[in-house]
Amino acid sequence: MIPITKHTRDVLLEVAKKKKIYVEGNFLKILQAPNGDVEFEEYLKVCKEKDSTARRKRLQVTKQVQKQNKELVSKQEETDALMEELQIALESAKQSEEVANQLREEAEKGMGKALEDLELMQKKTQFELISTIVKVALYVIVGVGVLTTVMYGLALMSGTDTQIIGSTWSNMFGILLTNAFSIVGTIMGVKYATEKE
Amino acid sequence: MNEMINSILLVDDEDLFHLVFEDACSILDITLSLEALNSSDEADRMFKQWFPDDPNQERPECVFVDLNIIGSSFDGIELIRKINFDYGNGCVIGIISSSDDNQEIEKAKAAGAQFWIIKSDDIEPRLEDFRKDYQGYVNKTNPFKVYK
Repeated sequence: MIPITKHTRDVLLEVAKKKKIYVEGNFLKILQAPNGDVEFEEYLKVCKEKDSTARRKRLQVTKQVQKQNKELVSKQEETDALMEELQIALESAKQSEEVANQLREEAEKGMGKALEDLELMQKKTQFELISTIVKVALYVIVGVGVLTTVMYGLALMSGTDTQIIGSTWSNMFGILLTNAFSIVGTIMGVKYATEKE
Repeated sequence: MNEMINSILLVDDEDLFHLVFEDACSILDITLSLEALNSSDEADRMFKQWFPDDPNQERPECVFVDLNIIGSSFDGIELIRKINFDYGNGCVIGIISSSDDNQEIEKAKAAGAQFWIIKSDDIEPRLEDFRKDYQGYVNKTNPFKVYK
């Protein structure tokens, strides 16, 4: 403990009275009032009370700030965690987009192939239909030709008048040959044009 | 009334806690001389200076060390081990931390810590209890204690 001289005592009391400035901090706790000096003892008591009140207030505020800091840190951690989750979700979305793009490309390729197959099938059907038409047309042409020829032959052999059947056979044969070539030409033309496309 | 502790050293990385501790010690009249550091490396350097002799009696009488000291190359338990086993075990020393991990408490005990005070919003009652037991730590008669 530090005993106080009269001069120091008077100065401290004067400053407290006139300027309301009091000794504070731990230094206050080592000051000792002169024996029997009630006024200075009272002064030290007031100083200690003021110091204690100020410290309690500061302690309360500091604890409050500390608590708020902890909450901020906790919220920051939560935000960081959310940001991390968001980043992961974003990456996942990007990956999904890439997969979707790949699937779309594959689907487009598949669709192209399917269209090609469909076209091929249509062409095949068309070709088969044309073949059937050609076959039927040829059968008709050959049949009509054979029938007319047989009839003309029979007329010749039986010695009947062949003027009408002869000219008919001749005309018929000409028409059939012309039509046959016309049909074959048309088919070849269509086939050629289709192959080029 | 319990006697005041001559000098206390607090090693804690949180500056705000320095203020809390200082005010709590002052209100409870625990000590008049309190020094606060925020790095275990700095505390280590100081103890190296005081080791093996301390002619000027600069070594603190009691040391409170935080468990995890951010920005330091070793934690509080290692600092306690160094002080106890490398620098002469000349003070009352323990942990002051918000953690109550039993494994860490056991490690601290093994390193020579005499007490473990759990930090909370209401630190004053714990410090008061500690002050009551303090003489037992000085005499090495008190067993290790956790102040919850």
